[in-house]
Amino acid sequence: MAYITGPDVVKYACTCGLLKPISQLYFCRYCCQLRCGFCVCHEVDSHFCGKCCENLPSSEARLKKNRCGNCYVCPSCQQELSTRIGSKGPSNPDDPKSTPKKMYYLSCLYCRWSSRDVGIPDQSAATGGWPDRENVHANRLQEIIDMYKAVVLAEKQQKEKDKKKQRGKYLSYTDRTGVTAASLRKRIGLPADIQHSLLKTKPKEPEPVIPKEEVEDLPEDIFTKLVKLMEVTTIEQRLLQTDVQPITVDMLFPIHKQLSIKRSLRCRSCEHNVSKPEYNPNSVKFKIQLFAYYHIPEIRIVTVEPLRAGRASELIVKFTNPTQHQTTIAFLPLDSVAEEAVGEEASFNQQEASFDAIKQSASLTSLSSQPSSLLSLSSRQPSITIKPRAIVQEVTADVAIPASKVILPPRDDAAEYDDSGDTHNIQDDPKLVVWRRSNKAFVKLLVTPRENLPINTEVIIGFTMQHVYTNTIATTVENKEPDKHDHNIKVFLTIGNLVGSD
Amino acid sequence: ALVCEESKLRGDVTIGSGTIIHPSATILAEAGPIIIGDCCLIEEQVKIIHRLPFDQQDKENTPVLIIGSHNVFEVDCHVESPKIGNNNVFESKCFVGNKVTVTNGCTVGAGCKITQEQILKENVVVYGEKCYMREGLDRPGLQTLQMETLAKMLPNYHHIRKANKKN
Repeated sequence: MAYITGPDVVKYACTCGLLKPISQLYFCRYCCQLRCGFCVCHEVDSHFCGKCCENLPSSEARLKKNRCGNCYVCPSCQQELSTRIGSKGPSNPDDPKSTPKKMYYLSCLYCRWSSRDVGIPDQSAATGGWPDRENVHANRLQEIIDMYKAVVLAEKQQKEKDKKKQRGKYLSYTDRTGVTAASLRKRIGLPADIQHSLLKTKPKEPEPVIPKEEVEDLPEDIFTKLVKLMEVTTIEQRLLQTDVQPITVDMLFPIHKQLSIKRSLRCRSCEHNVSKPEYNPNSVKFKIQLFAYYHIPEIRIVTVEPLRAGRASELIVKFTNPTQHQTTIAFLPLDSVAEEAVGEEASFNQQEASFDAIKQSASLTSLSSQPSSLLSLSSRQPSITIKPRAIVQEVTADVAIPASKVILPPRDDAAEYDDSGDTHNIQDDPKLVVWRRSNKAFVKLLVTPRENLPINTEVIIGFTMQHVYTNTIATTVENKEPDKHDHNIKVFLTIGNLVGSD
Repeated sequence: ALVCEESKLRGDVTIGSGTIIHPSATILAEAGPIIIGDCCLIEEQVKIIHRLPFDQQDKENTPVLIIGSHNVFEVDCHVESPKIGNNNVFESKCFVGNKVTVTNGCTVGAGCKITQEQILKENVVVYGEKCYMREGLDRPGLQTLQMETLAKMLPNYHHIRKANKKN
């Protein structure tokens, strides 16, 4: 099916100005707007291991450096390692009658690497017995990390102290009477300065590193010795294990498998979830699934006549209504709806600077939306609503906008079992609607590529599709009918290359 | 040897004892005779073709394609190599061209296409889309259990060709 939805032939314009195929768009029911991957907040929902399908709480994941404790990955091809039963020797060497003991070793099915290649002895336990290699620099790294943590803590305390000092406008009560805290402490016999309790235990400062200028000379036969390519690790293999970075193949140890995440998406302007997966790692379903494919009519190209510059060609397009409500499709020219200036909220001082940057780059494409997206990820404050941007897409052909509308009945899952046939009785303009079945309709459009275009230019057409969207959010008790309103979407189709010219 | 009736053998093909040839395997001895060793496993859709390369047509001595013993040719592999040793594994859908010489204990991974003129070292494993090579410790394991099961089950479901022994 990827060949139908795969190539980006039909693209919808998201509110941020990007063009995306329908499979990559989401539809926020509360704002009634299309959202793409850049207009939503990506949040980590849960961590899990792809192989053992086990969920890990995020704190434990951080402790284990986002790696699974039980599963290993082949160091030479990064595929999963499976545990196999190896040689069986008697469990008790003295008693030859005892049952043979099973020894396990790790083996990769893809490149046939095994833990025996590196010299790791076979384990007697099926899981969890594999030795972890100690990092040679572990102590030094820990010292440096501790030092930096102390520095961060000290800075934090300094800030708090400064804040307190600012607030304290009043002198101590005893100043006027001449009995200050310092003099009192002197009288009693305690030291004059109060030492901060947290600063008492300062961690040991790591020894400074001594720089060296001498470098070992290269061995003399470095240019003449034959390189055994099969014994040297590739850079990818080396960098997978950054603590050791082995040069030769026999130092490659199995690596713990990295955890994957489940991601939930949230609309930036209304903070409602657009997509929320299930917690179970084995399940591919969603708790909340507001994909555009299920709410917006899908457009697919059926056929197109060979395109010639200046001449009108027929284009047949298929509309599918995925919702449970009837919808009416009307066509409008591309620039019919004035882009509404969405309200701008600059709520915090920190975000104002970035907001100015966004204003200046309002005409650029999506790359500039990334700084604001990163900010919202970190702060989780009500996001800035960005002005919809101009769509950067050149249209190379004109479409004759039909005047009549197309009615699409609701999607009926039981229709294929129903032999009574379509009883919708919809009166269609025969020039517009060529064929119809349940919730689908073929629509004929006339496309005229612009004159003076060279042969083999891509022909791109655009129009605004207006469909009636029925809001399915729970309505109030008084108003039992769900409210319908028109929803405009700009669509761009890449229909092919110019074959000839007039 | 157990040769199924539905397999396609053309030309002068000598098959060792204990070898199992599945149906729809193709062995074409166009440019010369093919000699297959003992206890080989040739699965479905395998193509073992002895073809002369373009630049060596019309030579006087007929070359022989020699395959050693205990080799495994998995489903849909295409082998044209003129000399194959023992204990090799040719995984599914691999292609070994006629300029490659395969020694002992090699594993050619699934989907790998080897065409360049070379001699594969012993116990080498070729894997991946780009045909990465690594040297294995040991030759790949024998498939004795599967071959025993096949020797019992195949005659129940397929017609077996009768051997014509040359005396």
